Amino acid sequence: METINYLVDGLAAILTVKNLLLLSAGVLLGQIIGVMPGLGPTAGIAILLPLTFNADPTGAIIMLAAIYYGSMYGGTITAVLINTPGESATVATTFDGYPMAKKGRAGQALVIAAGASFMAGIVGAVLICVAAPLATRVTTSFGPPEIFLLVLAGLLTLVVIIDGSILLGLLSALLGFAIATVGLDVGTGAQRFTFGSPDLIGGIDFVPVAIGMFGVAEVLQALLRGEHRGPGSPVDSSGRLRDIWPNRQEVRESTGPAARGSVLGFFVGATPGAGATIASLMSYNLEKSISKEPERFGQGAPAGVAGPEAANNAAATGALVPMLSLGIPGSSSTAILLGAFLMWGLQPGPLLMEQNPEFAWGLIASMFLGNVMLLLINVFTIPVFASIAKVPLRYLATPIIVLATYGTYAINKSVLDVAVMLAAAVLGLFMRRFGMSCAALIIALVLGPLAEMSLRQTLIISDGSLGIFLERQASVVLLACLGAIFALPFAISRIRRRLSASSAKPSETDEPKLPTPLG
Amino acid sequence: MTISLMKRVKVAIVALALVAAASACAVGEGSGNGDEGGDYPSQAMDWTIAFGPGGGNDRLSRQIVEILQQEDLYPEDIMLENREGGSGATGWGYLYSQKGSGYGIATTSGSFITTPLQADTGWTGADFTPVGSLVTEDSFFMVRGDSAFKTWADWVAYAKEKGTVTVGGTGLIQINFILQKLIASEAGYKIKYVPFNEDGQVQSALLSKSIDAMFAGPGEVLGQIEAGKMRALMFTGPEPLAQAPDIPTAESLGMAPLPSQPYGLVLPPDAPDSAKDWWIATMKKVVETPAWKKFIEQQGFSENVMWDAEFTTYLEQTTETFKRILTEEGAL
Repeated sequence: METINYLVDGLAAILTVKNLLLLSAGVLLGQIIGVMPGLGPTAGIAILLPLTFNADPTGAIIMLAAIYYGSMYGGTITAVLINTPGESATVATTFDGYPMAKKGRAGQALVIAAGASFMAGIVGAVLICVAAPLATRVTTSFGPPEIFLLVLAGLLTLVVIIDGSILLGLLSALLGFAIATVGLDVGTGAQRFTFGSPDLIGGIDFVPVAIGMFGVAEVLQALLRGEHRGPGSPVDSSGRLRDIWPNRQEVRESTGPAARGSVLGFFVGATPGAGATIASLMSYNLEKSISKEPERFGQGAPAGVAGPEAANNAAATGALVPMLSLGIPGSSSTAILLGAFLMWGLQPGPLLMEQNPEFAWGLIASMFLGNVMLLLINVFTIPVFASIAKVPLRYLATPIIVLATYGTYAINKSVLDVAVMLAAAVLGLFMRRFGMSCAALIIALVLGPLAEMSLRQTLIISDGSLGIFLERQASVVLLACLGAIFALPFAISRIRRRLSASSAKPSETDEPKLPTPLG
Repeated sequence: MTISLMKRVKVAIVALALVAAASACAVGEGSGNGDEGGDYPSQAMDWTIAFGPGGGNDRLSRQIVEILQQEDLYPEDIMLENREGGSGATGWGYLYSQKGSGYGIATTSGSFITTPLQADTGWTGADFTPVGSLVTEDSFFMVRGDSAFKTWADWVAYAKEKGTVTVGGTGLIQINFILQKLIASEAGYKIKYVPFNEDGQVQSALLSKSIDAMFAGPGEVLGQIEAGKMRALMFTGPEPLAQAPDIPTAESLGMAPLPSQPYGLVLPPDAPDSAKDWWIATMKKVVETPAWKKFIEQQGFSENVMWDAEFTTYLEQTTETFKRILTEEGAL
């Protein structure tokens, strides 16, 4: 209960006009940055962080938290509208968000994403109050072996995401793993496939590849099909407010996934490494596995948007746990924040919360308020953004390609990145035409280096023995979970079959049977 | 410089600027140092940070720029830009490409030495025009707070008995690895070194009992030490750190001096002497300001001031040391 008091104090501390202005400015700025293809939360914080170095820490952290949420959500907007994830954590959102937009339900997808993010923000804030010690234990028991198993769980998404030809899907994933090997071999320090170029020693970044392969290739593909000659979108182009609201069925289909994604995301986010990405992929995986209609995933299932969006948002909150309770950054964004703590003259570490309760709880409270603000602002901005989806392709194609190019360049001011983006666009186009899976490639590219790194670390520690996975308590627990995840889809379809065989009633379990899906 | 004097100087600057463009030299003299001729500086400064926000280079660069602005030392604009990528190769490569210019500048860190060792960057630290070394970031040798090792001697006894211990750090061709190798060979035990990408992962690996020890900068771990989650057994700096005076230095434990992470400032290769002299004179003032002293203490840095060619020599020597160790270990 003490923590609740702290949270209330934190809320009271930040409820000043100045802070609320900072909060709304941050959310808006973040959203604008996030909408730029390629610029996600990490870039958003990085770009706007210097503005805060002279502010008081509480005001600064409020603004940064707002920027974080705003840009995270901005990334969702591009993921849904133009199939371009702003950072790896929104990759999963494109799987069903973009198909929804293509079906004319862009506004609904964005509202579902906003609603799921909001729910995750609230659940995260509650969990940080009641489950922080548990999450801290997750952090302190996760070494390389556990991280490897977690990455493996993320990679299992490949099984779910590959539809159509399994061979082509695996080929796509292998291509992704191959691209991921470029750069410094972390185990030996040797350069792999850099051809002597210093620009490549950092490896091929995921973002330019994602922008090219998803955003630009999608445009090229549409142009190739001659869609620009058509009459434009079949949907009516009135941007009326009421058009964005999901119908009751969509809301119902989203609630469960959002709730599960929130809890899953929070704990996965507390692990050091790529928490939010793995969390969102795991959530997608989970939702498709337990869905009664898994075949709708990838075709615009609201659950495929709600789950991952809740998970990546909750992971962002979860990542705060190790940072606040241990002084350990759990993600690249929190690593930047930790640097900011030092700039503000705060000492990160386990005593941070004790020594600066106003700051720490102000941060948590501002994440809570930031989500409220985001939801409010989005009620007004979603119709505007959603109407973009209704602009005919012949007007939209050029700006998308220009923005994609600019966004790619802006990340590191690197022309090489632009070249990578364009190459990925061409590759993406061919992959689409030959039925390969761009999503599988991207997942492999994001998780490949993590898997390699954590496995190699594990094997250095264990002298090459795989027995280490059975020696560590946390590993064993994770292995069991992994087995469960793997077995879940089979088990569920089995149970379902048995249920439908034994019961004559059409309604299966807790929910009443719904009318046929719309759209 | 008092405020009223500054104001008068500013007024003089405005008046002069109205008279002729050539008065730009008076701007540099009036607000910077008095002994430099020529018209430096008369343009905006393109300040490169070779790493992302929040890192050591970033914090250092922003602090220097803040002091330059507060003290009105640089009369023109300074444009700060994070150009991260390739362990600094991108940012410093960008500075390298401004050969001959006096209007590009960047801070340097340990990677300024190690990155050219591991990649074909086309430059080494010695190619750049040195301004000077400013601070070093020394490290603590850290073990878990609940471990049985209370002192460095405890650790060495354990490591020797075990033969090979597992330690970790960021990267492989990095100072962390070199330090671990140096102390292990001096104390007479072997290590398995586990490389990580980020500081946070190393700390998490230590707490999760995946590794037994690590090196970490004061900024990251002073809070951990204070809270008892981790314990520092040794400090690599020549003097104990003010915030942790009880942690013995490597030298006080009878070890040879250990290399540290040198932070400095460089201009592009072949920068004009006027630019180099201006920056050396100006930075001499910066390192005397209270704001600078406070910054150093807050970050857990140690003062390590050397100027001009002395800095280049230091870079060259450190490079040789690193190269020798890394070659011996087969990492290069």
